[in-house]
Amino acid sequence: MSDSRPTPTRVSFAAVTPNNLGTVRKLNSVLFPIKYSEKFYSDIVQPDLEDFCQLIYYNDIPVGTMCCRVEVKDGVAKLYLMTLAVLAPYRSRGIGSQSLKHLVDTAAAHAKPKISAIYLHVQVSNEDAKRFYARHGFTEVGLYENYYKKITPHDAWILQRDIQPAAAAEAT
Amino acid sequence: MPPAGIPASRALPSRESTLFKEVLHYYEDRQLKKGLKAADTILKKFPNHGETLCMKGLILTHMGRRDEGLELVKQGVRYDLTSHICWHVFGLIQKGQKNYEEALKSYTQALRFDKENMNILRDAAHLQTQLRHYDALVETRHTLLRLRPQLRQNWIALAVAYHLSGNILEAKHVLEQFERIVKNVPDYDVEMSEILLYHVRVLEELGEHTEALALLDTSAKSRAIIDRVAIMEFRARLLSKLGSSEAQQAWQGLIDQNADSYDYYKGFLSNNGIDIDALTEETQSQALTTLRDFAQQFPRAAAPLRLALTVATGDEFKELVEPYLRSRLEKGVPSLFTDLKALYRVPEKRDILESVAHTLLDSLTHAADAPCPPTIDPTMYVWTLYFLAQHHSHLGQHEKALELLDTAIAHTPTLPELYMFRGRVLKRCGDPFGAARWVDQARLLDLQDRFLNARCGKYRLRAGLVEESVEVFGLFTKKDAPSPSQDLEDMQSLLYLTEEADAQLRNGNYAMALKKYTAIQKVFDDFEDDQYDFHGYSVRKFTVNIYLNLLKWEDTLRSHPQYVHAAIEASRILVRLHDDPSIATSASQALSDAEKKAKKKAKKAEKKVLEEAKKAPGTATNEDKGLDASPPKDDDPDGSKLLQAPEPLERAAKWLKPLNTLAAGNIEAWIAIYDVAVRRKKYTQALQALTHAHTLDADSPTLHVRLVDFKKRWSSLAEKPSENIAAAVSPSLSKLVPDELSLERFNSQYLQNHSSRGDAILATAQALRILDAPREEVESAVFSALNADVELRLETAVAIDSFLLELKSPRVDEFRAGCQPRFGLATLFAPRAELPELRKNAIQRAIAETNVEKDEVIS
Repeated sequence: MSDSRPTPTRVSFAAVTPNNLGTVRKLNSVLFPIKYSEKFYSDIVQPDLEDFCQLIYYNDIPVGTMCCRVEVKDGVAKLYLMTLAVLAPYRSRGIGSQSLKHLVDTAAAHAKPKISAIYLHVQVSNEDAKRFYARHGFTEVGLYENYYKKITPHDAWILQRDIQPAAAAEAT
Repeated sequence: MPPAGIPASRALPSRESTLFKEVLHYYEDRQLKKGLKAADTILKKFPNHGETLCMKGLILTHMGRRDEGLELVKQGVRYDLTSHICWHVFGLIQKGQKNYEEALKSYTQALRFDKENMNILRDAAHLQTQLRHYDALVETRHTLLRLRPQLRQNWIALAVAYHLSGNILEAKHVLEQFERIVKNVPDYDVEMSEILLYHVRVLEELGEHTEALALLDTSAKSRAIIDRVAIMEFRARLLSKLGSSEAQQAWQGLIDQNADSYDYYKGFLSNNGIDIDALTEETQSQALTTLRDFAQQFPRAAAPLRLALTVATGDEFKELVEPYLRSRLEKGVPSLFTDLKALYRVPEKRDILESVAHTLLDSLTHAADAPCPPTIDPTMYVWTLYFLAQHHSHLGQHEKALELLDTAIAHTPTLPELYMFRGRVLKRCGDPFGAARWVDQARLLDLQDRFLNARCGKYRLRAGLVEESVEVFGLFTKKDAPSPSQDLEDMQSLLYLTEEADAQLRNGNYAMALKKYTAIQKVFDDFEDDQYDFHGYSVRKFTVNIYLNLLKWEDTLRSHPQYVHAAIEASRILVRLHDDPSIATSASQALSDAEKKAKKKAKKAEKKVLEEAKKAPGTATNEDKGLDASPPKDDDPDGSKLLQAPEPLERAAKWLKPLNTLAAGNIEAWIAIYDVAVRRKKYTQALQALTHAHTLDADSPTLHVRLVDFKKRWSSLAEKPSENIAAAVSPSLSKLVPDELSLERFNSQYLQNHSSRGDAILATAQALRILDAPREEVESAVFSALNADVELRLETAVAIDSFLLELKSPRVDEFRAGCQPRFGLATLFAPRAELPELRKNAIQRAIAETNVEKDEVIS
């Protein structure tokens, strides 16, 4: 299915910081039909999240972002993927897949706290996205009704993938 | 009894005499407190002892009590005019004040009374070098060598002195003699290696190439010269000069070492009789073949490919430039256009580049809102758009450039280069405000980027936003500096100083502009002072070759474009001040609120520093503050004192003096020299300046204005300065302005010859004003610049605008309105009432959201 794509050789990542936040804002403003609050931007530059809030570069140009937050509930930590997107012209070259793989690997290697799963919301009209995440081991675990207030459709799928800690994954 | 020859007033009883020796020791060891105490003990008994007074003064100076110290030294010298110690101390203090002329005089006095004092001789030699008194330097170095022939450095110092005085042959003799007697040189001795290389250089300069080569070869073989790159470079050059068949191989060897050095390729080619800067049809194809060979030999080197582009023409050029362009666009080399810009001087190459790049673009074009086809590299597409935008803007096709940039930004909105260049295009179109905003956007994409930050500061200055620029500059300056401006000044940032001075000038703040130009002058004074330490160091360390290059560079220091620019602008301010002294006072009254605030702030900061100094514990008495006078504190924060200082013309003349020789090819420099000279009533100098300008560009509009000005001044002189001057001036003047023409005719003739040039039209209007034409006539003359068939450049339009303002013309707004259709993208000619608003908009507070309405908010 993806064999005809050019190999994404020139993809790299860098943590989101207060200094390159302008680039994140710029990307978000063209990538999403959603406006992000100032709280979103102040959260993603927190130093303890730098592994999970990354700018995606292609040939040294920032072309996408990927931002998560850590949610701890009953002593179990999950990664909530808030945004992952790549500029339109740069899609279909495996940049997104490579980014997601990078994220999963980072999450697996993370020790404090240990990450048990990654989950996210996808608007129910977005079949492409759902397929993309399915390819990377995400499954639908629920439906969030009226997740979106203004844009339609209002509902969102909840997609999730469990994370095997790096050491355990190697052992198997 | 004092020993013979010592004056009674200097002789001290044995107790005090011992004490005085202690003072000297304490000083040498920088035990300042003890030294001071001992000196005071002597002075209690012998308050008029000159040498002790001088030593006390010296110690006090080191302790930071400079004024008191200087006073004591002067007193001491007066009490004992024949003591070498007194004069030496006086010289040291003067040297610390960078008063080299006077210091040398004191040293010369000191040497009269102690002819063989090594320390004094050495310091005197340094001063003589600094002041370029090379003949005297030879004398001094001779004496030093005679006194201490066993010191290697004394030999080399003498050779260098001869070299500097122009007597290279004698330098060679000294070196030969030195090499004959030098013994026990360890293997791989860096110092000896440098000396031998210097010897080779001397021989080369003397044209003794065979001898130079022989010395080089034997020294290289015996490992006496160890700088391998230098050996190879000298060797290749010498072999070429000798026409040896080995030369080719020597150059090839250098290229093998570094395949990206243009000099080596030039050397290789010139060895084959090819001058790459003056190619003939025959050498052109030879050069191209050679460069192609090299490109194959060194596939990773850029130099042979780039040089081939300079050499090739027509189809060959096209064939070479296509892969050159493609590979760099693929890689994403941001500086590609800068790299190729020099080729644009040849119209044919410019056109080929355009067509090649556009063909490439066509093959890459794809939509911005869908995945790019797999066969295309999306970043290459963006870089190609960027390249072509620069191309079209360079050719004045700014709208095309903006269109390309907008396409690129829609495709990849995260590349700062695109925003920066969009700003630059707007600047070129006469929209400094929009320009600043776009560059600001680039900065916001990456706050860590010092280059983007500096650019943003510069563009804010271009838009007249001085305070706001300091704000962004301050993001990268030292946090503990008194202010960002002060830090940038201390760091000798010519870019900042020049841009701020220009901005202040455009804002009409002459005082601040002059202050900043003066800061630039000081930077160059510092550069000049900085060489001082090397007069001793380089000879001691035998780094003679590089030292000689340094001295040569220092001699032409002020040919630096930033100095030339500052000198011309500062002299213009001072001339203006001379013509209308009221500027000096009105400027200080017109302090804006912001400046008043800044002044208050500066005062507060100063007070704080003083208080802190007071609070600091007083134990610092033994701390050596050195002899160099510390920079005086800034007691003129708004530059008004500087502006009000007397004799503006004399100051202007001082600014311009270096330009006579160092900017002789710059017509604006000659015009500035004229403007000052004619007002100082130096008529021959004024006319000389005009003659120089005339040889550079006889049709220059600024020159035309001065010709009219000079003729009018000269012929209306009530009294000619002197027969001699009149005899010198009149005939040369008639060569520039024919006698038989009235100035009015001369002016209208000039206009007729250049009727389609906007700048010429402005010049004739300015000349009319000099000829006392009524204002209405001057105005209507200048308005013809708006005629459809006139080539009116943006700078000229801006100059006309300020000329009309100066005339207090009621038609200023009419002219600005007339410019608007002409310069569609310009905001410079917007109604003046709108300017503050435009200025405010020049600052981008945050990254702009796209204008798509987004209702959904995620927190």
